Formats: sequence, C-alpha cells, structure tokens
Amino acid sequence: MNWLRQFFSRRRRYEELSESIREHLDEKIADLMDRGMTREKAERAVRREFGNVTLIEERSREVWQWPTLEGAWKDIGFALRQLRKSPGFATIAILTLAIGIGGMTAAFSVSEAILLRRLPFKDSGRLISLHELIREDPHDFNVTAPDVLIFQRESQAFSGVGGYIGAGFDVTGAGAPFHAMAERVTASLFPTLGIEPLLGRTFTQKEDENAVPVTVLSYSLWRERFQSDPQILGKTIDLDRRPYTIVGVMPRSFEFPLDAGRLSHRDLWVPMSFTSAEKNSEGENYDYGLVARLKAGVSMAQAQIDVDRVIAMIQPSYATISTGLHLRGYFRTLREETVRNARPLLSVLLGAVALIMLIACVNLANLLLVRTAGRKRELGVRLALGAARRVILRQLLTESLLLSVMGGAVGAVLAVFLVRAAEAALPDSLPRLNEISIQWPMFAATFGLAAITGVLCGIVPALAGTRTEVLDSLREGNQGAGQGRSQQKLQSALVALEIGLAMLLLVASGLLLRSFAKMLETDPGFQSQHVLTASFSLPHLDYPTQQKADEFYTGLQHRIEALPGVTAVGFSTDIPTVGQNQGRLITAEGHVRRAGEGFLIASTYLVQGNYFEALHIPLIRGRFFDARDEGAGAPLVAIIGQSFAEQYFHGEDPIGKRMKVGDRFDSAMPAITVVGVVGDVKQGSLDQPTSNQMYEPVSQAAAALGPMAAMLGVVGNMDVVLRTTQDPALLTPDLEKLVHQLDPLLVLSQPHTMDEIVAATQSSRRFNTVILTAFAATALSLSLLGIYGVLAYSVAQRSREIAIRMALGASRKIVLLKTLRFALLLTAIGMAGGLIASIGLTRFLKSLLYGVKPLDSATIMGAVLVLMAGSALAGLWPARRAASIDPMQALRSE
Amino acid sequence: MVKRSEHRDLFPGALELMILKSLNWKPMHGYALAQRLKDISEDYLQIEEGSLYPALQRMLKSGWLETEMGLSARNRPVRVFKVTDAGKRHLEQELASVERMFAGVTRVLALAGQ
Repeated sequence: MNWLRQFFSRRRRYEELSESIREHLDEKIADLMDRGMTREKAERAVRREFGNVTLIEERSREVWQWPTLEGAWKDIGFALRQLRKSPGFATIAILTLAIGIGGMTAAFSVSEAILLRRLPFKDSGRLISLHELIREDPHDFNVTAPDVLIFQRESQAFSGVGGYIGAGFDVTGAGAPFHAMAERVTASLFPTLGIEPLLGRTFTQKEDENAVPVTVLSYSLWRERFQSDPQILGKTIDLDRRPYTIVGVMPRSFEFPLDAGRLSHRDLWVPMSFTSAEKNSEGENYDYGLVARLKAGVSMAQAQIDVDRVIAMIQPSYATISTGLHLRGYFRTLREETVRNARPLLSVLLGAVALIMLIACVNLANLLLVRTAGRKRELGVRLALGAARRVILRQLLTESLLLSVMGGAVGAVLAVFLVRAAEAALPDSLPRLNEISIQWPMFAATFGLAAITGVLCGIVPALAGTRTEVLDSLREGNQGAGQGRSQQKLQSALVALEIGLAMLLLVASGLLLRSFAKMLETDPGFQSQHVLTASFSLPHLDYPTQQKADEFYTGLQHRIEALPGVTAVGFSTDIPTVGQNQGRLITAEGHVRRAGEGFLIASTYLVQGNYFEALHIPLIRGRFFDARDEGAGAPLVAIIGQSFAEQYFHGEDPIGKRMKVGDRFDSAMPAITVVGVVGDVKQGSLDQPTSNQMYEPVSQAAAALGPMAAMLGVVGNMDVVLRTTQDPALLTPDLEKLVHQLDPLLVLSQPHTMDEIVAATQSSRRFNTVILTAFAATALSLSLLGIYGVLAYSVAQRSREIAIRMALGASRKIVLLKTLRFALLLTAIGMAGGLIASIGLTRFLKSLLYGVKPLDSATIMGAVLVLMAGSALAGLWPARRAASIDPMQALRSE
Repeated sequence: MVKRSEHRDLFPGALELMILKSLNWKPMHGYALAQRLKDISEDYLQIEEGSLYPALQRMLKSGWLETEMGLSARNRPVRVFKVTDAGKRHLEQELASVERMFAGVTRVLALAGQ
C-alpha cells in the first residue's frame, strides 16, 4: 500500500520540499553574508548557483506524481485556456462538429427505424405479401376474396396465410362517438404474423367462419377509451350500432398493416367473415391483402413455383368473366412492401446529410490548419525555451480531442432534438414513425470520424512545424514562405471540395423547390376554396335498403341547402386528392382491343345531388345527372372524365355511346350510356398522374352491376361536399347538427375544408423540399465560411508581399480585385467539380421530382449564381482588409 | 547542469550513490550536503545544487531516505535527510557492484594493450 500512503502524504511532501529548498537558500545566503556580501548580492549569487528554483521544484514534485493521469488533467486545463483565448474559432469549430455529428446521427436514426430495422413480427424475414396481376394489364393489385380462401386451402409453401382488408366502423358506447379505422382479418392472420396479444386471445376459425361479432382492440384504443381497464375482456363495444365482444387487446407496439405510417393506425381488428357475395366474387375486387409465412426450409424460388401452381388452379374460374386474361401471382417480402415508398426520400435525406458531414469535416480541417499555422511562432518559442516536443504534441492532441468531445456533446443534444422534431414533422405517410429512436452506434461512429479529423488536422501540421524550421520561423518573424504556400494549397483544395459539395446540394434543393412550385401550380381539376367536406357511413342495421339510404341523402341535402350561404351540396363515395377510389373494368361498345393493349380500368365515383357544382368540376360535354336518372327503371347513365373520353373514344363524341362493366361487351351485364364528359380531377396528390375516371348516380349503382349487384350492397359510406360563400369551416357545427337531427346516432367524421385536404396531400413534398433546402443552406454557409477562412489566412500570410506591391505602386483597387479573383477562381473550380457530380448523381432524385428534369438548366443557373454571389461576398471582407493594408506599417512591424 | 569541457559526465546512479554515502556518514540537510559534495570532490564534480533535490525526492520515494527535523550549523531548525535500513542495503549492493565494474575496466585497460 506504499502508493496509497504516498498519495495521501503528497501534500505534506510538497510542503517539505518547498521548505527544504527554502532552508537551503537561507543558509547559503547567511553564509555568503557572513563572508561580507550584501544581502542583494548574496541572494543573486545563491539563486544563480542553485539553478532555476521553479523548475527544480516542479521536477522534484513530478517524482511524486502519476504522470499519465495528472499530465492529462493538466493538459486539459491548458487546452481549455487556449480555447478560451480564441472563442470565435472554438465556437465555429464546435458548431461545425455538432452540426455534422448531430445531423448525421439524427438522419441515420430516422432512416434506420423506417428502412432498415426488422419488422416487429416474429422472424419477419419469412413474411411475404402476395399480389395478383393480370398479365395483360399494368396495374398493381392485391388479391380477391375467394383467392384468399383458395390460397389458404391449397398452398403448400406457406406455414400460415392470412387475409386482411380495411374497414371503418362508427363506434358508440365508449365515450363520445367516433369513426374507427379497423381491419377485417382472417383468424389465421395473427398466428401467421407470430404476435401474441397483450390480453386475452385472437379470433378462432369458428368465429371467423360464423361471423361472430368479436373484436380485438389496439393498445391505444384500450388506453384512451377504456382507461386500460384490466377487466376489459368480455365487455362489449358497439360497432355500427351492433355489439361486439372484446376478446383481446394487442401489445403497445403492434401495428398492422404497416404501410401508411400514422395514417394506417388501426383502432381495432374484427374477423374477416367473408360474406357469401364476397366468396362468389371471383375476379372482381382485388383489394384484399394477403400475407403469408414461408415454411422453414422453403426458398423464395420454391414459393414462387407453388404460387404459380395455385394460380393455375384459379385460372379456369376466370373463364366466366374474363376470357383471354392470364392471371399471375408474385410476392414481395413484407418489409420490402413497407419501405418501398419511403426509400427514395430517406435515401436522399441520408445522402444529403452525409454530404453535410463531409463539408463539416472539411471545414474543421481548414479551421485547424489555419489555427496551427498561426501558432507556429508560439510553438517555436516554447520549443526554444526547452519544452519537450512530446509534451507540446500531447497538448495539441488534447486540444483537438477536447474540441471533438465538446462538439460531440453539443451534437448529441442536437441529435436528440432533431429526432424529436422529426417524429413530429415527418409526413404522416412514412411508416413506423413511432419506432424512431436514437442510434447511438451511429453517434459513436460519427464522433469517431470527427475526432480523427480533428486529430489529423491539428497534429499533422504541428508535427511538421516542430522541426528545425522552427528556428527559421523565429528568425524571420514570419512563417517560412515554402511552408506557408503548401499549406495554403491544401486549404484551397479543401475549400474547392467544400464548394463542390455545396453545389451538389444547391442543385438538388433547387430541383425540389421547382418541383414543389410546379406541384402548386398544377390544376387539381376542381376548386377547393369555400368547400367543406365530411364523411359518414350509414350502418346496415338501420339502412338495410338503398332506398332508405337515398332518403337520408336527399333529406340531408335539402337541409344543408337551407343553410345561409350554401350554394351547392353533393355526395360522393370518394373525394378528389385523398387517393381512394374503386376501380372497375369497363369495355366500350364496338371497341376492339389491340394486341398488347391494357384493359380500361376506370376509378368509379358514385354521386348524388349537386356534386359537380359543389366542387366546380367543369362540364365539357353533355350534361350532369338530374331527375331523369333517379326513378326506378331509368336508363343507366354515366359521366366520364376527359382522359377516359380521349383514350377510349379517340376523339369521337362519346355522348350517347354505350359501355358495360367487365372485359367484353357481349355479356349479360346491362349497358350504360355516356351522357356527359367532365374535366379530370386529381385523385391522389397533385404530383401523381391523372387516371381514368367515371361517375354514376348512386341510385343506379346496383343496377349497373347487373348480375353482380349483390356484391355492392347498400352504398352507405359517403362524403358530403358543400360549397358556401363564406368561410366553410364555420359551417361544421351546423352540419353536425343537421346530421344529428336526421340520425342522432350517426357519426360525422373528419370534417375538413377542401383546402385543408389538398394542403395535407402536399405535406410530404413540402417536407422533402424544406429539409433539402435547409441542408443546402447549411452547406452553403459552411462553404462560404471556408472561403472566408482561406482567404483571410492567405491575406495574413502574404501581407508583407502585398505591402511591398503596394509600396511599388499597385493601387488598392487592384489588390482588392486580385484577392476577389482568387476567391472566385476557387469557387469556379469547386463549382465545376460540383456540376460534374450533379450530372452523375441527380438521377437518383428522379423519383422525387415533378415536372422538372434532373438536369434542369434554370436550376443549375440559379445554383451557380447563388454560389458565385455568396463567395464574392465571403471574399469581400478579406479583400478589403488586403486593400487597406498600410504598406509602411506592415513593413515596419516585421 | 552546467557542463565544462574538462569535466566528465557522471554515470547514471552516481549521484544517488554519492548522496547515500555522504548521508550514511552523517545525516544532513540539502545545503550541507551540497557543500560536502563540493568539498570532497574538490570542485572536480560540478553539480548544480538544485539538481540534488529531484534526486533526493526520488530516493525518498524509493524508501532509501527519510526526513526528520534537525539543526543546521547555524542552529536553525532544518529538515535533515537520513538513510534508512533499506537505503543502507542498497548502498552496500551498489558499492560492491561499482567496485566490481571499476576492477573490470581497470583490468581491461591494463591488459588490453598487450
């Protein structure tokens, strides 16, 4: 325990040491004074003979110290003081590091949760999502209801097959009535996913087959509406006014399906319970999702063979409705499905952030180079005074590491903040948003990168500087010309690199900005101002016939029309821009399908009232629906969209032409006559392409399907649309009141103005654009900072040379221009590099662009101008400083 | 250390040996020790007085010396360095080893020319 005792007695040791030395000196002084010296002379002589007291005392103390730990502590203290002396440099360095490290960590964390992490299901790599497609048609489908059952029965490659389709229910009896997003699932779905419920159980096969009204709640619904009641099992909840028994609650993190982020959050799940109409609807509605788990040992290729086999079994039953069609089946892994849409955006974000990180490192390198160069003199003096080279290097290393640590700390805070902000601000359409968490390994990696950069850029020039040139530098009073120039070349190269990277980001953000602008300019096909819309769904129990439903619509329409300021009221099964629509296969009379031509699938809207007038959808030919079309036995009519008319009727007047649902005209289906052509509306967000559309009156919807009318059921899910002269939002309470007057139990859900809805569809693109522009701005400012730094350094370096030139007659203006020219030259070189990189890399952006080519010249011009202007500005300051050098003073101070 | 061309450098450990030997003969404080070394070597060995102190501290740390209070020549209270038992043992070993070394070198120098 020798060392322990020594540690505690160290203070005493130091005191003893000081006193011993003191005594030594006193004795000697006394002796010398005895011999006749004066006190002064004695003291001086004693000190001279003793040596450097402070140094000796310190050396003696060092004997008792632990060199590594204490030295490190001293170095840190020293480094802190050094940094405090240059607060500007320290702040910029720390901020640069923080931005790079924090930004990179946050971006990676977001991407990791959404793109990379395994799905929260057991062995999720074995889960696939099955799709059917018709070889002759390019559209992407899920599967039909009967096929779900067939695959469950016949496939051999899967250990579990589950089907699902979305559903909505009005929930009453659990707090305020609301409209719940739900999913109908086969009993096999939860076991296929491998998820156990938190409470209770999931559905049994019997419950599924016999349409027993049971339900499984989501965790959030259980918590919010039932206060996490532990006795919840066995209680009931009214869905569309029918009591369902609660048999289970799913765990907190469970979401299914996962495809549309926050928008897809399901409140509860109910058994699929196929109706007999669904079971007989072969080849009709491909909206049913199918997820399956590969059996152990079965490869994807083997599974595909099995799928083909089952499809071959299904093919013959297609003969009745669609001869000549060839059915195909394919699948993707569930994870691939989930991330497909998110991948382009997130990849771009990740790429952009990586660029910023690179720029930040380059900036840091530059900063450190400048700083080390400026301290050459100080280091030289310290070396000459006897400091060990090792000690100096250690101190420089500590300084760089300290900067990195501080930058890393701020970066960590920034990362946490950014991730929180991302969770709130990211578009709702990204999946798995609530699973984002900070990825600390990434943080460690970027921190390591920054630390290495700091060390390299702080140490390497210092190492070079602590050699013999030190004495030269002291002698000249200025850095040796050779050294300074090579350092300046390095710095210039770094800045050019930065500018190239900034250019890349500027071009990318410019492209996105133009895309966003183009999107805003796009005509949606209707007028969204002054329009209010809301949804409701009439429960089958109380509205068992279409007639009853129609009575409700008519009654509501009349009441709303009586409200002051309302100019038009209409109903539709779907509204524009929200991306929902039901597709129908349509064949026109006399139309001959060319080889290879796809089928016409038109998105069909069932409308009532003055729908077109309410949205100001323009009538191009013919007429809107009116009283003629309403009575029983009225001739079947339809209104088609302009693209439909052009594509299918090839410029002829479509009014009066006939068509049928299905893939051929000579079938038992009833003929529908076209009575009007309207302008196309955007069914999805404004940057999606327009598709073929058609409208039918609600009252004729069942008749138009002829033998398959039973599949449609009663059309009870509608959106009401009303146009008003005032602010539409003000009418929401009145609308709700009117609905309650007609049916007190009916829930009016999602009342929004049409403007709000359209804006919501723009939010995803808006987000991309804002983020990338923020990145570009950051990159630009970092680069401009770099230009400024290099230029300032170069001017300081060459102040003597400039002074001489000015003394020899160069005017101030010439000096200014020459300095600026250097800045612009550097920028030009960097820009050229950036342009070349843009040409290569912007095609990765293609999926995010709208209405703009990846090499859009206006954007590139804009980026060039911005960069040139910026660097001229950044260079102006040092240029002016160079021009204002007073030659006499500069030369004299050397 | 101030070097002068006509004086050689000390071999490593020489300073510690001389300090130990001197203190073994009589415990002294720093100044007295420095004086004694100067006197005995007749100024031959130029040792900066201050450089004794790090050496003294090293020997304190190694446990060969200890300090106690004593009196100086002027009857002032001073800290005096004294050799410990461990120090005495170390001194004996080192002296023996140095003598062996010198004997060897002498023999080589005497006989190498033949």
